[in-house]
Amino acid sequence: MKGTSTDRIGYLPEERGMYKKMKVRELLQFYGELKSSRKVDKEVDYWLDRLELSDWGNKKIETLSKGMGQKVQFISTIVAKPELIILDEPFTGLDPVNVEVIKDAVLDLRSNGSTVIFSTHDMNVAEKMCDFIFMIFKGQKVLDGTLVSIQDEFGSDTLRIRTEGGRTSLDNLDGVDKITDFGKLQELRIHPGSDHQKILAEIMSRTQVYSFELAKPTLYDIFLRIAGPEAEEKADA
Amino acid sequence: MRKILRFVKREYLAAVKTKGFIIMLLLMPVLMGGSGIAMYLLQGQVDTTDKRVAIVDHSGIVTDLVLNAAEKRNAASVLDKETGKKVQPAYVFEVIAPDETDHQAQRLALSDRIREGDLHAFLEVGPNVLHPEGDQSTFRIKYHGKNSAVDNIRNWLNNMINPYLRKIRLSEVGVEESKADEIMTWLQVEAMGLVTVDEETGEIQEARKTGEAEAILVPVVLFFLMFMLVMMGAMPLLQSTMEEKTQRIAEVLLGSLQPHQFMAGKVLGGLLVSLTGASVYVAGGVFFMRRLGLTEFIPFHVIPWFFAFLILEIVMVGSILASLGAACNDPKDAQNLTFPAMFPVFLPMFIFMPVLQEPTSAFATWLSMFPLFTPMLMLIRKAAPAGIPAWQPWVGLVEVILFTIFIVWIGGRIFRVGILMQGGAPKLSNILKWAFRG
Repeated sequence: MKGTSTDRIGYLPEERGMYKKMKVRELLQFYGELKSSRKVDKEVDYWLDRLELSDWGNKKIETLSKGMGQKVQFISTIVAKPELIILDEPFTGLDPVNVEVIKDAVLDLRSNGSTVIFSTHDMNVAEKMCDFIFMIFKGQKVLDGTLVSIQDEFGSDTLRIRTEGGRTSLDNLDGVDKITDFGKLQELRIHPGSDHQKILAEIMSRTQVYSFELAKPTLYDIFLRIAGPEAEEKADA
Repeated sequence: MRKILRFVKREYLAAVKTKGFIIMLLLMPVLMGGSGIAMYLLQGQVDTTDKRVAIVDHSGIVTDLVLNAAEKRNAASVLDKETGKKVQPAYVFEVIAPDETDHQAQRLALSDRIREGDLHAFLEVGPNVLHPEGDQSTFRIKYHGKNSAVDNIRNWLNNMINPYLRKIRLSEVGVEESKADEIMTWLQVEAMGLVTVDEETGEIQEARKTGEAEAILVPVVLFFLMFMLVMMGAMPLLQSTMEEKTQRIAEVLLGSLQPHQFMAGKVLGGLLVSLTGASVYVAGGVFFMRRLGLTEFIPFHVIPWFFAFLILEIVMVGSILASLGAACNDPKDAQNLTFPAMFPVFLPMFIFMPVLQEPTSAFATWLSMFPLFTPMLMLIRKAAPAGIPAWQPWVGLVEVILFTIFIVWIGGRIFRVGILMQGGAPKLSNILKWAFRG
């Protein structure tokens, strides 16, 4: 990509790429002006204020905590109002409050017409925020589509259940390929063609069921199915 | 262009807005001229401990001379006449009768006394010093000591014994003592400049007396100034480019800049830093020379050449350093590449003296025409009092311009690939591949 086309792209690297000796405001002005070839003082002030960094404007980058540094790097990515924003693990080093702040900012940018590409290993983030999901595994594209279309490919094969007996009451159930234990909750992957009702009836005969849900697999589960040890074993076989 | 200028501004301000830059600006001349300043400051620092010297005189005619001269010297120079404070060591001579049976044993015994600290040195005068003929070993004057080569007493003895012996020789052939002084008068061949005509009055001007210091000082100062400014502006580019790469700043910058813009910004930033230093030193130098009434020594005709060659040197060396910095992945890589990268600057440092002494020799001429060394060597040749043919700096300048364009092009190609290449130390084969095949 050459010339002005790169000016329409904002890139947030996974590792921080900032001059440690520069002050926060100066750095943001520098990155913004370099990208847009115009003054970006107002935008810098707006974003510093929005991400609660106004008091740190005159501090050097090297004095910032990891989380604050991540927020400054995020502002440097978007301060020139790029049309395409590439965010590589944007929530690294952030506490939940700041995760929400950045998340809101990203959603605002999307509403204002920017296209956002997330590069992330956090399946929850991808599931909650992304319109389209593209997954690369060992250099090959293995998923491409909306969350719904991807989940549809895998079908409603997950029984999410909470019981009095917990994990021990679910041993040796016919028609169950895998059980994922979350402590108070278990996820059962139903073998294709098996009857959910029969499996549920069997569990109810063993223990008291507090709640259950027949669900589509989460992106996290899909990821494991594609890239986990189970998939490796299948591939080897 | 606007992006490059914005990047240049950052690079420039990042360098000059630091206390380190100001300190370096002040300290650099001090460090460069450090040995000269130290010698000047330590000039008056003399060890005033008395120096005991044994004298073994096989000739029998030198001892009295030395003892009398030492007595006079000690009376005149050892104590400060106003304060009475001891400012020089006294020379105390101990006469030792020569052992004609075993010279070596006597020398060993005296040497042992020096080792033990009982003596400072011993002087051995050969038997035939008055008529030095035949066996050379019979008319030698030997001064033995731990540090005899640079010992002031040796010089003092040298300057005293020889005129004395000459006078005796002259009197032996019938020359009167008063005539002997005239005969021995030494006249120095004076170094003079060229006679000129005053443009206003048309009168012939007296040629100016030139000293060795003056002849060497101007070219050497300009030469070392260029060296300092290259160290100030170009040298940091290797390290800073490597840091920008390893700290992922380069990844962010390349989202806004093309690689050639990135490299241009770094080199031009370094150039501005050097020009700032050059302006301060040149303006400061001219100001002080004028204040000291030494305007005639300011080489105004060389200053434009100095700036022209400085700019080309920084762009050329800076491009090499920035491109190699882009190929590095850690400080160790950068350290290993520093010396080869600075070769165009270091080699002239090793050979500048012969070039200055013989600026029109074939060696100096051809080496200064080799573009890597032209800026520094042509400058020192141009500034040398002997002068060089007028066409040579111009040919050198054109050569360097063309070569610098080539180096910038090559450097840009290395930079473009290297800046995003991670892992592994930079190999020469890879760097050459990036340079010529992209």
